[in-house]
Amino acid sequence: MSVSRAADVVVVGAGLAGLTAADALVTAGRDVVVLEARDRVGGRLVNHDLGDGLVAEAGGQFVGPTQNQVLGLAAELGVATFPTYAAGDSVYVHGGRARRFGGDIPPDPLALPGLGLAMARMNRLARTIPLEEPWTARHARRWDGTTFATWLRRVTAGTGGLDLVDVFLGSAYGATAAEASLLFSLHYIAGMGDEHTPGTIDRGIAVAGGAQELRFHGGSQLLAVRLARRLDGRVVLGAPVRAVEQDGRSVTVRSDAGAWTARHVVLAVPPVLAARVSWSPRLPPQQEALFGRLAFGALAKCEAVYDEPFWRADGLNGQGVFRAGSTVCSMFDNSPPGDGPGVLMGFLGGRQWRAWAGRPARHRRGAVLRAFAQVAGRRALRPREYFEQDWTAEPWTLGGPTAAAAPGVLTALGPWRDRPFGRVHFAGAEHADYWNGYMDGAVRSGRDTARAVLAAAD
Amino acid sequence: MPLTEVSETAVLAVPVARVWEVIDATDRYAEWVVGVLEVTDHHGAATVGRTYSERNRTVGPLTTRSTWTVERIDPPRRRVDTGTGFAPMHDMTNVFELEPVQVDGGEGTRFTYTVRYRPGLGPVGRLIDRLQRPGLRRSFQASMRNLEDLIVAEGPAETA
Repeated sequence: MSVSRAADVVVVGAGLAGLTAADALVTAGRDVVVLEARDRVGGRLVNHDLGDGLVAEAGGQFVGPTQNQVLGLAAELGVATFPTYAAGDSVYVHGGRARRFGGDIPPDPLALPGLGLAMARMNRLARTIPLEEPWTARHARRWDGTTFATWLRRVTAGTGGLDLVDVFLGSAYGATAAEASLLFSLHYIAGMGDEHTPGTIDRGIAVAGGAQELRFHGGSQLLAVRLARRLDGRVVLGAPVRAVEQDGRSVTVRSDAGAWTARHVVLAVPPVLAARVSWSPRLPPQQEALFGRLAFGALAKCEAVYDEPFWRADGLNGQGVFRAGSTVCSMFDNSPPGDGPGVLMGFLGGRQWRAWAGRPARHRRGAVLRAFAQVAGRRALRPREYFEQDWTAEPWTLGGPTAAAAPGVLTALGPWRDRPFGRVHFAGAEHADYWNGYMDGAVRSGRDTARAVLAAAD
Repeated sequence: MPLTEVSETAVLAVPVARVWEVIDATDRYAEWVVGVLEVTDHHGAATVGRTYSERNRTVGPLTTRSTWTVERIDPPRRRVDTGTGFAPMHDMTNVFELEPVQVDGGEGTRFTYTVRYRPGLGPVGRLIDRLQRPGLRRSFQASMRNLEDLIVAEGPAETA
C-alpha cells in the first residue's frame, strides 16, 4: 500500500481555473499541491512555437471588455495585451463568393434585418435570466425545452440568421444552435458582461469592443506558465488523477504520480472527465448525470504561417466569416505582434469539424488553405508551415471550447453544476456564470472556488 | 439530335501524378468540380464498371441528382465516365485527359475537360444548349483552377 502525501488542498488540473484557485489558496496560507495529467500547464491554453521567441495561440486566446478577472490577473503577472489585428476589411464567404466588408456584421441583406431583430431579442431575454440560477427564470422550462435553433427559425425568416449565428457558435460552442438549449444560450449571452454591464451577443461576436478585441503578448499560455512559476514547485506534471476517495475527515486523491491526502480537493477538470474519475463514495447520480451531459463541443484550430501577413497590404484584416458550406466557420489574423511572420487561423467547429475531422490530414489542409485563400488571396495556398490543434483529440480535454447544455439539462440538473460533493469542490470555465467557457470564466471560477474552500475549511 | 461537345483546356502548375490522384478519387468531386454540391455515393478510387452519385446545382437554387459510371481508365492520362440525371440532356459522357508539360521549369499538367451530350426538347433544347455552353466552359475552367489550387494547398506528398 502506497504512502499518501499530505496537503491542505489538492487541486486537480493545472489549467487556468485550477492554477488560479491554487494561487488564491496559497496566498491565503494553505499548503497546496496541483496535480496535472499532462506534461505541461495551461489546459486549453497552449502556445505553438513559431521560432525566434514568437508564438501563435493554438487554444483559447482572445480577451475583451468586461473580462476584468483575466485582464486583472494578466496585469498582475506582467502579461501585456495587444489588439487583435482589425485594420481594413473582413471578408464574407457565402455560396462560394467572397465579399469584403467593414465592421463585425457581414453584408447579407437577406439575413441581416431578421438577425438584427433576433439579436436584440436575445439580449432582451438574456437580461431576464437570473445568472446564478437560470433554471428559475420565469420561462425556464419552455426555453429549456427548445433548441436555440428552433427559436432562431421562429424569429427569423429564411436560414440566413441561423447560419450566421452558427458561424459564431462554431467557435464559441464547438457546436450548432441545434445542439444547445435556448435557456443555456440565453444564460451564456447574459454572462457576456460583468456585474455592472449586462451581457450581450454583440459583445460576444465583436472584435473591437468585444470578446475578440485583445490577445496576450507571449500567448495566453504564458498566464498559466507564470502562475505555475509563482506556485513554486507545487505543480506536479504527469499526474493524471484516477480516483478520489473521501470520508468525513479527509480526501485521498490517487494519481499516476502517487497519492495525496488533503482536507479539501478542487477538481478543475472538464466535467466529463470529472465524471470518469473513480469516486468513493460515488458522485451523487444527479451530478454524475450532469457532468456526463456537459461534454465539450468539437473544435480544432487550423493555422497557416507565412513569411509576412501579406493580406494587410491589400487592405484586409485576415478576418473571414464563412456561411454554411465552407470548411471553416470563421478565421482571424493570428500573427504575433511586430514585424514577424503572418499567421492565419481558422476554426473548424461543430458541423465543420464533423465534416472534416475524419478526412485525411492532407485533404483537410487543402480545404482549409483554400478557405483562407478565399479571404486573403491565393498566396494563402502556400504557407511555410501549417499546423492544427484538434481539441477533441486531447485526452485530458476531450473537445472545446466549452460545454453547451442540450435541452432539458439546465432545468433538470443545473443546480448540481457547482455544488461541492463533500470535501470536493468543482472549478473550471464551465462552472462560471460570467464568460462561461472563456478564460475570464476560468479565472472567476478558480477564485470563487478558492473562496468556497476557505469558507468551508475546518 | 446530334451530339454537343464542350471542351476546355488549361495548363496547371502541378504534376500529372497528383492531378490523377485527385481526379481518380470518386469521393472528391465536390471539392473541385463547379456545380457538384456533394458526392452522395462513391466507391473510392475509380474502378471501371462501378458508379458514384452526386447532387448537382442546375439553375439557381434548383438541384439534380446524377449517377456516373466509370467506363474507361487509362492511368494517368485519360478517364471516361457516362452520366445520367441531367435531363433534358441525354447520353452524357465526361472525359478527363492529362498530358505532362513543363511549367516554369517544373512539372505541370495540360488538362482537357470535355463533356459530350445530346440535348433534348427539340429546337427549344438546342436553344437552351446554345445558351448554356458559355457557362459550361467557364465552369470547366473554374473547376480546373480549383483542382490546381487544391493540389497546391495540399502541398507536396511528403507533407501528408
